[in-house]
Amino acid sequence: MSQGLKINDLRVSVAGNNILKGIDLTVERGRVHALMGPNGSGKSTLAFSLTGHPNYQIQSGSATLDGQDLLELAPDKRAKAGLFLSFQYPAAIPGVKVANFLYAARQSVHPGDLTPAKFRALLMEKLEALDMDPGFLGRYLNDGFSGGEKKRLEMLQLAVLAPKYAILDETDSGLDVDALRAVGDSVNGMRRSEEGKDTGFLIITHYPRILQHVKPDVVHVLIDGRIVKEGDAELAHRIEREGYDTLREEIGQLA
Amino acid sequence: MPSAVAGLNVPANFESALAALDANVLGAQERRDLLARSFELHSGRERPGRFWKIDLENLDYSALTVATAAAPVIQAPQARGLIACDLATAARQHRELFVRAFRTAMRERESKFGALASALCNTGAFVYVPADVAVDGAIEIAYNADDGALFPYTLVLLERGAQCVVVERVSGGTGAFVCGAAEVVSSENSSVTYASEQRLPENARVLFTRIARPGKDANVQWAVAELGAQLSVASVDVLVDERGVEAHINALFFPREDQHVDLVSTVEHNAGDSHSQTLVKSAATGRGQARYLGNIRIAKHAQATESALRDDALLLSKRAHIDSVPALEIAANDVKAYHGATVGALDDEQIFYMTSRGIARDDAEKMIALGFFEPVIQRFPTEALRQRLRDALEEKVSA
Repeated sequence: MSQGLKINDLRVSVAGNNILKGIDLTVERGRVHALMGPNGSGKSTLAFSLTGHPNYQIQSGSATLDGQDLLELAPDKRAKAGLFLSFQYPAAIPGVKVANFLYAARQSVHPGDLTPAKFRALLMEKLEALDMDPGFLGRYLNDGFSGGEKKRLEMLQLAVLAPKYAILDETDSGLDVDALRAVGDSVNGMRRSEEGKDTGFLIITHYPRILQHVKPDVVHVLIDGRIVKEGDAELAHRIEREGYDTLREEIGQLA
Repeated sequence: MPSAVAGLNVPANFESALAALDANVLGAQERRDLLARSFELHSGRERPGRFWKIDLENLDYSALTVATAAAPVIQAPQARGLIACDLATAARQHRELFVRAFRTAMRERESKFGALASALCNTGAFVYVPADVAVDGAIEIAYNADDGALFPYTLVLLERGAQCVVVERVSGGTGAFVCGAAEVVSSENSSVTYASEQRLPENARVLFTRIARPGKDANVQWAVAELGAQLSVASVDVLVDERGVEAHINALFFPREDQHVDLVSTVEHNAGDSHSQTLVKSAATGRGQARYLGNIRIAKHAQATESALRDDALLLSKRAHIDSVPALEIAANDVKAYHGATVGALDDEQIFYMTSRGIARDDAEKMIALGFFEPVIQRFPTEALRQRLRDALEEKVSA
């Protein structure tokens, strides 16, 4: 069985427009991959295509999770296979309490592995680790949440669901320094935990700010629907210094 | 004696039933007049068309048998001076209180089905709460329409500073017919919540007329759940004739298969310095049909009124239909009035978000639909009732 979240020559269109034009990328267990790129380069499209959003049409290519074909699975089955997406804009669902939702999700992904009491204990532990008020649990899912609260709830779900692969879509956007640090801490905390030490991360970001808190092992740069460059953490620093334009020029010259 | 209702679609045994129906509640001639009035009036309700299939102007009552019906089952907590009894007993033994309240808020001569309910009233309940008594716990009134047609009339009278919660439950056997009324008359500074849980079988017919007239600085809350019956026609009104009133109308309904629901709520602000809030949540599935009309009327002299109306409708099948009509008539100039209405299907982004967490699509849809009702369920009294409503809704969503 082939380990890793493997994406091969993936081509995706949205409403008739070709957005991803052949993506090759492998996220390895226990490693942190950063996917960087300017606005409109297709970063979120990749995240939604992998998780099975109905608006994204796969034209060709493949995506496998530890050898299992993801693209033929419904979104819930992909989550059960071990995939998680932290949404840039999570949906608000009035009337559904955070605690009930988390329990339903945990039960779906890891059926019957925790009694309600043990689940409660896990929840409390993760809340404390994320410095979140237990009052969160009684609120309706993302309903009236601030941007920072939504991101924290995404991090709480990440911790509770302990996926094999986690995609964080612009989890740093719109966050202040403290909230950014909290997100960084939660990813690092997860990587140190028994449940999360083997989780492979794909951190999608426009700005490299988050990468000051979570050090990437590999950096992929996505421009205009293609991975144009790969490197180590130094590549992220370079983008921070120079922006995407010099990179574009460099690629233009190569082409 | 000449009958005013000869030739109409009245219950076949109407004339002979008149003699048996309680004359202490309402005399035979008055019953006859009200029945005739009911046939004169137009209901103002939804008309048969592409979606709605029932002609409410010409309902046929001739197959009904009217007889004195069993008294409701009433359970009341202990409270000083509290009266909770059947209507006939109240009309005899608490005559003065009964007369003070009965038909003082109900405008039965202006309402087709209110007139019918009054004319044929064959059972009922009476609740009286003395001044400054706060009844601890709900007063439960259960009507059961197992035999024949049921015309229940619930009358609630609160003195100054009194507080109570009434939970009415309407159930019955297959093919039941219920045409009822609820009338709440309250005095200064009182507080009353009246909840109704209608769970008749899905081939029953039910028509309910409910009205409250709160006193000065009083608080009145309706919480109405129309869940059963093939046809459910309901009106829920608050007449704000005194200042400082806080009035809430909360309602939910959920037609499925061939169920039809027509709900009209009306808050009439005839005195100022009052607040009203109307919250209606509905869903429909199968070929379920519904119409909701939400009236807010603010008279010219009802200054400093604040009124909000919100109704949201969820369509869970292609053939289900909900017509939602907020109607605001505002004659005063110093008022705040808000209204908002939505009609739509389940949100794809919500479904995707939940399924991306491993929750199966069916379960996600159920959770979202139940969550949709939760804000209005929260406004119903007693945890037991709220849980019964959640269970009933879950059953409807799952079917």
